[in-house]
Amino acid sequence: MNYLAKPIANPVVVLREEFDDWAVLFNPDTADAVGINPVGVTVWKQMDGTRSIEDIVSVVQSNFEDVPEAVHEEIVAFVQMLEKNGFVGLALKSNI
Amino acid sequence: MSIRSIDNSEKSKQTKTPAINTLYFYLTEGCNLACRHCWLAPKRDTTEHSSPTLPVDLFELAISEAKPLGLSSIKLTGGEPLLHPEFSRLIEIARREQLSLMIETNGLLCSPEIAAEIAKSANRFVSVSIDGADAATHEWVRGVPGSFDSARQAVINLVAAGIRPQIIFTVLRANFRQIDEMIPFAESLGATSLKFNIVQPTARGEKLHETGETLDIAELIRLGRHVELSLAPKTKLRLFFDQPHAFRTLSRISNGDGNNACGIFGIMGVLSSGQYALCGIGAQIPELVFGAIGKTTLKEIWKNHPILNAIREGLPDRLDGICGRCLMKQRCLGSCIAQNYYSTSSLWAPYWFCRQAEEAGLFPASRRI
Repeated sequence: MNYLAKPIANPVVVLREEFDDWAVLFNPDTADAVGINPVGVTVWKQMDGTRSIEDIVSVVQSNFEDVPEAVHEEIVAFVQMLEKNGFVGLALKSNI
Repeated sequence: MSIRSIDNSEKSKQTKTPAINTLYFYLTEGCNLACRHCWLAPKRDTTEHSSPTLPVDLFELAISEAKPLGLSSIKLTGGEPLLHPEFSRLIEIARREQLSLMIETNGLLCSPEIAAEIAKSANRFVSVSIDGADAATHEWVRGVPGSFDSARQAVINLVAAGIRPQIIFTVLRANFRQIDEMIPFAESLGATSLKFNIVQPTARGEKLHETGETLDIAELIRLGRHVELSLAPKTKLRLFFDQPHAFRTLSRISNGDGNNACGIFGIMGVLSSGQYALCGIGAQIPELVFGAIGKTTLKEIWKNHPILNAIREGLPDRLDGICGRCLMKQRCLGSCIAQNYYSTSSLWAPYWFCRQAEEAGLFPASRRI
């Protein structure tokens, strides 16, 4: 994935936040769901098509303690997993 | 802090005959305790009366039939498995066959010698039932004076033999206030984990539900959160509250909380009468008994029995009610099909806990489809 890609959350997908700050992403069209932790919730909320992966990494680094060195790779893998499940699309640099 | 996620698209539906992972041996028809909540309601064994037990040759035959089908582990339970007159011989066979060994016991007969014998198995897991942090509470539940000290000593004997067991505590109205107290108690004995079981409305447990001696659904949900969110982070013991997946925190599920689905696709029960059954429920429901060891081959039953094939084909998509509308159904599989069938005579009925939660408006909205 291009680090400059700007992910866009599928507007159909619903973020269902739970009492312990984890959340469920639910796609009512497919009944698919993904459970995500508070970092994932933060990443999800940044995916509005205006922020690059680099931008999202910066947000995570400023909002959480003990962020691992591999945060870039983790966020890329997370977005790719969501993309594979149809939860996000990507606006590539060449398209913006 | 890293990203953690759980994907519910991991489909659990069986497309071909699965392996038999585990045989559950209900070794004894009787038990040396008289627990108020028992879902099997065995006869009481005393010094004057012993109930039938599974013959060793049938135990061996079941294992030999199951190994080509994928068998890798066995669970020895009861009744009370240590009542079996040839218990040491059984675990010797399990060792010879290189099977992982799980034992569920009330601990009364778990002497240092038996504990040492169990410890010879490379892969073994033992759970001991203790339903109170003091003798009065435990023995009120278990029905036999002196059983608390015996159970406690069993844990000590197992730890001395190199086995750190799990303690299983069944939650009742009479003992739930001791849940917090159980943690230092279990730690002091050297247990590795503490599991809180919910009384199933089967056999004696059904009567407890009817008479209000179990907690109501709102109390159970509150208690589950208390264990998972308040108690678990404060102890090195692994704590489990045996509630359906829809009520477990995602963080606990993500960490592999050990409260897995019952593994129905890979389990076969063996009753003390020498019959194959869905699980111990066969002692209560004749139609969930599939055949006798030595008369019908396990291969024939496992591949062709219509109930097993219906379960493989139907779970989880055919689940009814709230279980059919639950996001966790791929993992949970209706929680306990045996219990659901006992209550309704339907394999697809929703689990009582989730049904009651939905009726009370307490089923988590975030976990619904």
